[in-house]
Amino acid sequence: MSGDDSARAARADRNAQLAALLARVALGDQRAFAELYRQAGAHLYGVALRIVRNAPLAEEILQEAFVSVWHHAGTYDTAKSQPITWLASIVRNRCLDQLRKREIDTVTLASGPDDDAPAWDIPSDGPTPVELLLAGADARAVRDCVDSLDAGPKQAIALAFFQGLSHGELAAHLREPLGTVKSWVRRGLERLRGCLDAAGVVR
Amino acid sequence: MNLSRSDRRARLDRLAAEFALGTSPPRVRRRLAAIARRDRTVAAALSAWERRIAILAEAVPAVTPPPRVWRAIVTRLGLDPQGASTASLGWWQRLGFWRAFATASFVAAVALGLAEWRRAPPEGPAAPLVVVLAGPDAKAALIATATRGDRYLTVKSVGNAVPPPDKAFELWALPQSGTPQAIGVIPPGGLVRVPLVNPVEETLSNIPTLAVSVEPAGGSPTGKPTGPVLYSGAIERMY
Repeated sequence: MSGDDSARAARADRNAQLAALLARVALGDQRAFAELYRQAGAHLYGVALRIVRNAPLAEEILQEAFVSVWHHAGTYDTAKSQPITWLASIVRNRCLDQLRKREIDTVTLASGPDDDAPAWDIPSDGPTPVELLLAGADARAVRDCVDSLDAGPKQAIALAFFQGLSHGELAAHLREPLGTVKSWVRRGLERLRGCLDAAGVVR
Repeated sequence: MNLSRSDRRARLDRLAAEFALGTSPPRVRRRLAAIARRDRTVAAALSAWERRIAILAEAVPAVTPPPRVWRAIVTRLGLDPQGASTASLGWWQRLGFWRAFATASFVAAVALGLAEWRRAPPEGPAAPLVVVLAGPDAKAALIATATRGDRYLTVKSVGNAVPPPDKAFELWALPQSGTPQAIGVIPPGGLVRVPLVNPVEETLSNIPTLAVSVEPAGGSPTGKPTGPVLYSGAIERMY
């Protein structure tokens, strides 16, 4: 069994468990809800923390997301998405709403003494967004899709994804005109879609 | 704007993609979310893109949220704290927590920590084993380093981390499986040594992670962590 296969099997197993828990949560099962939090809470908190970069705000988002899951678990549709994807998009959307609403300064990574270096070489915390993007793509097909993007689009998508930057913030951070950044994002996403859909990795 | 019309599909798809990625301006974002609540085509486009985008999220390191988050959820929903208990295991027994925590802390803290360490190498020119110990806020608090053959770990404080009065920080080795192994109490001070019985490469062979807990002065009386774990970090080996 290849690494990709075993990773996929582990993911499928975890997702089956989460789907079963969500189904019980929809019936008001508190134990299942606690177990769902135990299994998915840390991943979702990691997602929130990564995007909003502010622990109290990430905690608030996680709390709101789970309150919403308790009320709306019944709307989860196994045919449409994986449970972890569904949960992560609830958290991501709340993060993005908060970021846009509060206009929190998420662009701290561009400042510092290295202002002459190309913006995307400045380390933020740990692996760069592009590295994370590639690391997350544990199925080879996804990794290949991400890797096939040109440098600009890849960078823009990674920053938007992992640091919640808006078009305007991306332009400031990458020091490129807004139009260029918008078109990188657009081209990158189009390409990603074609590639992911062709590879059949997203159902 | 009727986004469901077939000639608008390309535009809808682009808007949905940017919504899912999160780059849309706030006004467009609110508008699209509102339309999706009553228009199935729009809702389907958004959810298709959310699935594509979310598949990329798997690399984000898990970080265990503070216990108050769950307590707040239980309180807000008026659930039964007993029925909805998540505490089936002692916190230190949940080694998945330690590891996820260590990975996350390391990922977030390494740039800061290593930069600090490089500015002021505590011992000689090269320390081929480095552990950045960070708390859940991902701020580096302590940096442990050692060179092959050392019978001690050099621990440098890079934050303002001090144990509570009458308490001490104790350093633990977290094996891949099984219970934490005591390394020793960290003496007070900005740059200190924690003695090891054996050379560091033997003491820490097969150990992926170190952690620091708060213990009574003199160390844990039980041989296992008894107080809260404040910091942890993955061991980076450069030898």
